[in-house]
Amino acid sequence: MDDRWIWWSLAWRNLWRNRRRTFITASALAFGYLASVTMIGLWSGMLTEMIETGTNLVTGQLQIHAPDYYPERSMYTTLGGRDGIDVDELVRIARETPGIVAASPRVYGGGLVSSGSETVAGMFVGVDPDREVEVTRLLETPAEGRAPRAGEREILIGRDMADLLDVELGAEVVLVAPASDGSLGNDLYRVSGIFATGMAGLDRSFGILPIRSLQELMAMPEDRIHEVAAAVEDPFAAPALGDSLAAALSARGLGYPVLPRPWTVFRAELAEYASLAGAVNGIVVGIVFVMAVFGVANTMLLGTFERRREFAVIRALGTRPGSVALTVVYEGLILGILALAAGALISWPVLYWLHNYPPDLSNMFGDFTMSGTVVRPVLRAEYSLDGPIVSGIALLITSILSALYPAYRAVKILPADALADI
Amino acid sequence: MLHLPGAPVNLARLGARSGCPISLALLAALVAPLSAHAQSPRKIIDQVDRLMRGEASIARFTMDIRTENWDRSLMLRAWSLGTEHALIRVETPQKEAGTATLRANQEVWNYLPRVDRTIKVPSSMMMGSWMGSHFTNDDLVKESRLVEDYEIEIAFEGERDGADVWEFVLVPLPEAPVVWGKIRYEVRKADLMPTWARYYDESDELIRTMTFSEVRLMGSRLVPTVVTLESADKPGETTVVRYHELDFDVDLDEDYFSLRNLRRER
Repeated sequence: MDDRWIWWSLAWRNLWRNRRRTFITASALAFGYLASVTMIGLWSGMLTEMIETGTNLVTGQLQIHAPDYYPERSMYTTLGGRDGIDVDELVRIARETPGIVAASPRVYGGGLVSSGSETVAGMFVGVDPDREVEVTRLLETPAEGRAPRAGEREILIGRDMADLLDVELGAEVVLVAPASDGSLGNDLYRVSGIFATGMAGLDRSFGILPIRSLQELMAMPEDRIHEVAAAVEDPFAAPALGDSLAAALSARGLGYPVLPRPWTVFRAELAEYASLAGAVNGIVVGIVFVMAVFGVANTMLLGTFERRREFAVIRALGTRPGSVALTVVYEGLILGILALAAGALISWPVLYWLHNYPPDLSNMFGDFTMSGTVVRPVLRAEYSLDGPIVSGIALLITSILSALYPAYRAVKILPADALADI
Repeated sequence: MLHLPGAPVNLARLGARSGCPISLALLAALVAPLSAHAQSPRKIIDQVDRLMRGEASIARFTMDIRTENWDRSLMLRAWSLGTEHALIRVETPQKEAGTATLRANQEVWNYLPRVDRTIKVPSSMMMGSWMGSHFTNDDLVKESRLVEDYEIEIAFEGERDGADVWEFVLVPLPEAPVVWGKIRYEVRKADLMPTWARYYDESDELIRTMTFSEVRLMGSRLVPTVVTLESADKPGETTVVRYHELDFDVDLDEDYFSLRNLRRER
């Protein structure tokens, strides 16, 4: 046998000298791996849930505006400026960008909503009902009634606004908004639905209309819109997708500039929270495996002491101290690889279960709001490459680290002393 | 009420007897003989203020609004009674004819003929633009009691651009419910006509300038018939109010300023 392999072979055999001990040690590492992978999975599941609920209700994960639309959000700062744009073309190009799932045009306005003697300030969003449902949950299942239909003078308002105005489903409300020609746009709209998101700001002041109706109210032509909102496959890819979309648009020679705005910009607090969560993952992995290091080192130290004479003999026969150390480290590494295989085997079904059949703790806790986002307490794990890879590397490093001290002790054994006991 | 001539903050007054130009008119007509030398600025204003109350006016004026995005011109008719009541109705453009704003009982109501509804302007919209102009709803509703809300001092007295003028500086009293941090006001000594007013915010930044010009006899009083409002943050944008008719000799009572009357087109 090749000289090099003899130390691996020795390490392998040593592992099976005390099977129960090896099994228990490997189990500790495997469960450490399971814990680490599961926690990362749950964390990123919660994050994804937060980002999704934080963005798929109103904003989408990626928005496209005229470059100077923010921060003023002037009604006049439409995509393509005064000339307007081919809205369908822009939406189509956005949808064709790989990674973007859906896109929908929007117009924004502000004004008053009035019924009887009650009047409240409102923020109006004009949407294309057919496309909007693919991007956000805005129009999905209102608490009462239904979403406004394209071509109708209908509006979907929040529960709080409905209460303030004292209106029911089907009631007529007056909308007043400054129009783009300087006049005071005003018209009657029927309340087609009432939504209740649980977010005070939305429920109190949002009014959702078919895009054309809002454009008419504000004396805006059909080709002038403020925004295209898009849903993306992987929320963390949104910033890059925005850039590639902007590049695609300028490559098409559309002749007007756009500024992509991913959720990491307009929901910066969510993005910060996500990166904080990344750091927390690191700490969790660290803690799990530091604990494992001591356990594994302890067992291996025991094994080393048991074999003191063996080591003494091979040293006496002329083996270099480095080779003795290597065999101990190899032993640790093999143990780590076995544990990793076992860990992966037990982690997979657990992750699969948490991903597909997540325990719903809503009964115990109810929904809660975090950074302005409603979060459901559902323990749903998200698959990711990071979790298993980071945990796996951490496990192998752990197994090597825990072998270092035992290896050092093995090298330090003096053949004369150890053999004297015989 | 009045404040310095030119209650610039008060749109209602722009067209009204109690309106700025009118206050000026009053100043000219009534105060001048008192000789400002003998009186503190505060006293003069206070006196005019009391004289102004309860008087009524009817005016017809145009409002030319120029913004970065559009220009438009409105012909308006306004009725006012004291500082509490005002009614302004759009006569042209035809599309908006009949649109009206009523100020009564500290509230502002709009009538929208297109939908035949009256709506109350909520307090959150008070700083919003009135009919797309550079005036705010607040300008319309606010009873700017300059005398009560501001400390008034003479900042400059002497010749400027060939005319003998005062420049007053008005600083709000600590508890005064006003939106301005400071107002500067220039008044011509000869006829007590205001020439301009500048409005500053709390950090002493100029927000808007109102200029008075074309002093003429109207409704048997001497008034500046053109008032130009410019926002400091939107250079080039202006709202110009031009009086065409002004009548002080009218008989109006509070009942006139009702929601029912607001709805009545023309």
